[in-house]
Amino acid sequence: MASNVLISSTSFREALAKKGGVTAARCYQCATCSSVCELAPEGLPFPRRQMINAQWGLADKVAADPAVWLCHQCNDCTVRCPRDAKPGDVMQTIRALAVENLSTPKFLGKLVGAAGSTWPLLIGLPFVFWIAFIYAVNGFTVPEAPLAWHDFVPHWMIYAVYIPVTLWVVIAILVSGSRYWNLMGQGVTRSGSFVGNLIPAIKEILAHKRFSDCEAARPRKTGHLLFLWGFIGAAITTALIIVAMYGFKTPLPLPQTHWMKWIGNFSALLLLFGGLMLLANRMKGGQSAGASTAFDTFFLFVAFMVGLTGILTEGGRLAFPPQIAAWMYVAHLSFILCLFATFPYCKFAHMVYRTLAMVHERMTGVASR
Amino acid sequence: MDKVGVFVCTGCEIKDAVKIDELEEAANEQNAAAFVTHECLCEPGGIAQIQKSIDDDGIDGVVIAACSHRMKQKEFTFDPTKVVVERVCLREQVAWSKKPDDEDTQMLAVDLLQMGLARIGKVKLSEPIKEEISDTVLVVGGGLTGLTAAKAAVDLGHPAVIIEKEDQLGGYLNDCKDVIPEHPPYDTVAANPIGQLIKDVQANEQIKVFTGARIIATKGQPGQFDVELQNGGAAQSVKVGAIVQATGARPYDASKLTHLGYGMSPNVITSHDLEKMITAGELICPGNGQIPNRIVFIQCAGSRDENHLKYCSSECCGTTLKQVASINRDFSDIECAVIYKDMRTPGQLEHFYQGVQESTHGMLTRGEVDKVEAHNNGAHVHLKDSLLGEDVTIETDLVVLAVGMVPNSADGHAIRELNDAKLRIIKNESETQVADATKLVESLKHHEGTEILNLDYRQGPDLPILKYDFPDSHYICFPYETRRTGIYAAGALHAPMDTPQAIEDAYGAVMKAVQCIESNARGEAVHPRAGDQSIADFFLQRCTQCKRCTEECPFGTLNEDAKGTPEYNTLRCRRCGICLGACPERIISFPEYTVDAVASMIKAFEVPEEEDEKPRIMAFLCENDALPALDEAAAKRIQWNPWIRIVPVRCLGAVNTVWIADSLSRGIDGIVLVGCKRGDDYQCHYIQGSELANTRMGNVQETLERLTLESERVKIVELARDEFHRVPQVLDEFAETIDECGPNPYKGF
Repeated sequence: MASNVLISSTSFREALAKKGGVTAARCYQCATCSSVCELAPEGLPFPRRQMINAQWGLADKVAADPAVWLCHQCNDCTVRCPRDAKPGDVMQTIRALAVENLSTPKFLGKLVGAAGSTWPLLIGLPFVFWIAFIYAVNGFTVPEAPLAWHDFVPHWMIYAVYIPVTLWVVIAILVSGSRYWNLMGQGVTRSGSFVGNLIPAIKEILAHKRFSDCEAARPRKTGHLLFLWGFIGAAITTALIIVAMYGFKTPLPLPQTHWMKWIGNFSALLLLFGGLMLLANRMKGGQSAGASTAFDTFFLFVAFMVGLTGILTEGGRLAFPPQIAAWMYVAHLSFILCLFATFPYCKFAHMVYRTLAMVHERMTGVASR
Repeated sequence: MDKVGVFVCTGCEIKDAVKIDELEEAANEQNAAAFVTHECLCEPGGIAQIQKSIDDDGIDGVVIAACSHRMKQKEFTFDPTKVVVERVCLREQVAWSKKPDDEDTQMLAVDLLQMGLARIGKVKLSEPIKEEISDTVLVVGGGLTGLTAAKAAVDLGHPAVIIEKEDQLGGYLNDCKDVIPEHPPYDTVAANPIGQLIKDVQANEQIKVFTGARIIATKGQPGQFDVELQNGGAAQSVKVGAIVQATGARPYDASKLTHLGYGMSPNVITSHDLEKMITAGELICPGNGQIPNRIVFIQCAGSRDENHLKYCSSECCGTTLKQVASINRDFSDIECAVIYKDMRTPGQLEHFYQGVQESTHGMLTRGEVDKVEAHNNGAHVHLKDSLLGEDVTIETDLVVLAVGMVPNSADGHAIRELNDAKLRIIKNESETQVADATKLVESLKHHEGTEILNLDYRQGPDLPILKYDFPDSHYICFPYETRRTGIYAAGALHAPMDTPQAIEDAYGAVMKAVQCIESNARGEAVHPRAGDQSIADFFLQRCTQCKRCTEECPFGTLNEDAKGTPEYNTLRCRRCGICLGACPERIISFPEYTVDAVASMIKAFEVPEEEDEKPRIMAFLCENDALPALDEAAAKRIQWNPWIRIVPVRCLGAVNTVWIADSLSRGIDGIVLVGCKRGDDYQCHYIQGSELANTRMGNVQETLERLTLESERVKIVELARDEFHRVPQVLDEFAETIDECGPNPYKGF
């Protein structure tokens, strides 16, 4: 085999170390991690190889690696590592770096990537924006009770903000995702159609099959599952309401007993419980959680706050004086904006990259678990 | 001795195993002047009885028939100027390891007593020597080890002299800025201690320092070494009691490492070159004067390599880690990549390794360096078998070869051979001899002028070297010892080592040196016969100048006069008796260990007739390992064959072949010698005793054939101290072999 001239990148190693992956250097390649990993497919064992790539600072190899996203951070490897090199944490750090490096535009990736210090800005800006926007439109005049939100913030304002942001996010994630898809595809042959393989992959994700194979991080499975379904429920509710509003001209606000409300409430509860479980697991620390970095906690916190402020908004509309309830609504709108806008640049993006990696895994035939 | 008393202990199960009255009969037959029994001879009452016999009855030979001679030595010590003590082992060899109250057991007990009585009749009182002893320790080499050793000697109350060949003290560490960590938490480099150490030594009035000096001659013996040295033209002389040689090591010659690119590009350097640059604070690529962006360290450069150094120098991994840490601190923009075969960081260095590993400017990885090629201004390092699972090439500006250590030892044997060959050329006795000698001189020429100690010893002017040119000894059994009594090797000369180890080594060697001086002052031998006050006696009138003793003494004790007669240096002597084993004329003896005394033991007991079907076997057991192992087996109540009669010997090398002949001619059916391991990993306490015994027994085998005796009748067995479980196995198997051979045909002649 021809020698390839390798120039390892100190900057990658430094970045890795800064984000919490310094332990990669301890690895002496015994491969205990790969043998204990329940998720590693036979044809693509990880994370031993990812550890050496990280140690050598081979940023290009790491960037094109599907295994990085196939890892669910079970931390079975970290528990068993004889050298305390924490492969689970290293993989998580590699993912954080990947999100940052694949992001479009890069500066937003860097900004969100540094959430550990930039979080006041990331959360504060949406607040400032919404307050300013509402002030500009109606001078922040809160209507009298009974409160209907569209009297305070008309629907057009919601659309004016979230439609462009969503478009922007979709474009950004499409660009980043296809970049990753192409990197993964270099030098390997895929077979079958993308969509044909996407469907079983999504089914697998919805059932959280892989999480159940984890040992050390099994406590995380339920939380993650509830969290995911909470999101899905919230998205479905939003879609249903839009359809009801424009298709069936159903007047808003819906009465509390309306079945759509029930779906929404149930989803919010899932989001809250799942989020609480995940946050508690992270706070408890230990091996099942792995090291918690701003990459993990920022996204978790924002998503949790979306759920919390949602419930507060809904309940507060009837329970609290309008002046107070209005602020809850502003907070809800701001957290949603924060979550949407940072989607391609924070941990939320793992939804896209992991799905792509799982499709890639199916199309290259390594998924022989 | 003239008046012998027999003192039998009946305790420790002895009286259940043997009939004491039969022992008394045997003692009376041998005209013992007293026969005393006591149920616990080692307790004050028993000791008092022995003392009473000495004082009142004038007993000068005390035969104590009790436990092994290794036990209760302190209790059974009486005035050595008046009384000789002989120990007969009735406990371990009889009561604990044989069937009680059995015919064979009884015969064994009587035989052992008779052997003891025979021996004590032949031995003399030893006359202790008292000589003028210098208490100064000479340290050769003024590096870290030497300076530490000199300071340690003074701390132990002994003045020290340092001889350093360079113009300043400090040695290798003069070139270093940092050293590897020596104290907890062991995670960062430590400051070089050498400057302070030099100041301490120079300020110490008890330490005399000669720099720019070399030794012209070391004459005499431990306690009385007369060292002549040259120091800038003027010759001086110092008297010292013991010597610590700490002449260190030098880096392996990198010019032999062309496959790693040395010599191909000025940007391939050794770790020693790099060390100097780090110390100077200017780290550049020598080829172009640029500051390197990346340095690749190649570990094991020429080490653990059949074609270069076969051994691991053990410090290069630590040194490289240290250099990476220093570079990270002093030149933070330089990236370091370390390629190792195995990262060897024994002990606490592991913490240092982990610390360096996590510094982002260093990458440490396993790989086999295939070759190094020049590329642009730097080099390409090609790796095969890297952890990436593929052949890779690393581009770098500077390559550092972590070369191993070569000891600064002088091969005493080779120098002597060279000098002897030169003498033969001068003598010009025959053409072939001159031709052979010329050839030898040619092959050994590189040893010329390498002398360090310049010992005035027949066996060569420097310490004999062992494996890999290190004047080492078995590191567990005999640390710091060399094959010259009173001279101890320390530091990187002794074995490859790093700075903390060298410091420890210096203390160890100094303690051995001080031990030697103090033993000499008391007129006693050093390890392993520590406390022995006897010295050898050479009956030179009958010497045939065969030179076997002068050649075979492992410690170079004997010089020769012009005719080849041995000249005994008492203080060099370890009392092993290897010369006694060597001498064909049997003119060498020790007061308590003579050829005649052992021969009389062999002849002391009755050998049963052929029809009795009771074979007899002589076992010569080395007192250092085999006998303690036997005692331990007995303590665990392991039984072995009762036909065997055991004679403890000082070393297998101290077995004179005449004893074999004596045994066979008496009709004894087999002879077994049990001693320590020989070879490169020897455990022989006198280094060469086992080896020599093996050679000598080879000659005995020829004699056996001539006498048409089965060669199986004489056997040598190697046994380690911890192999007590093998003792009965070895002895029983041998007894079986002898039984199969049938009786010795010379029985009854």
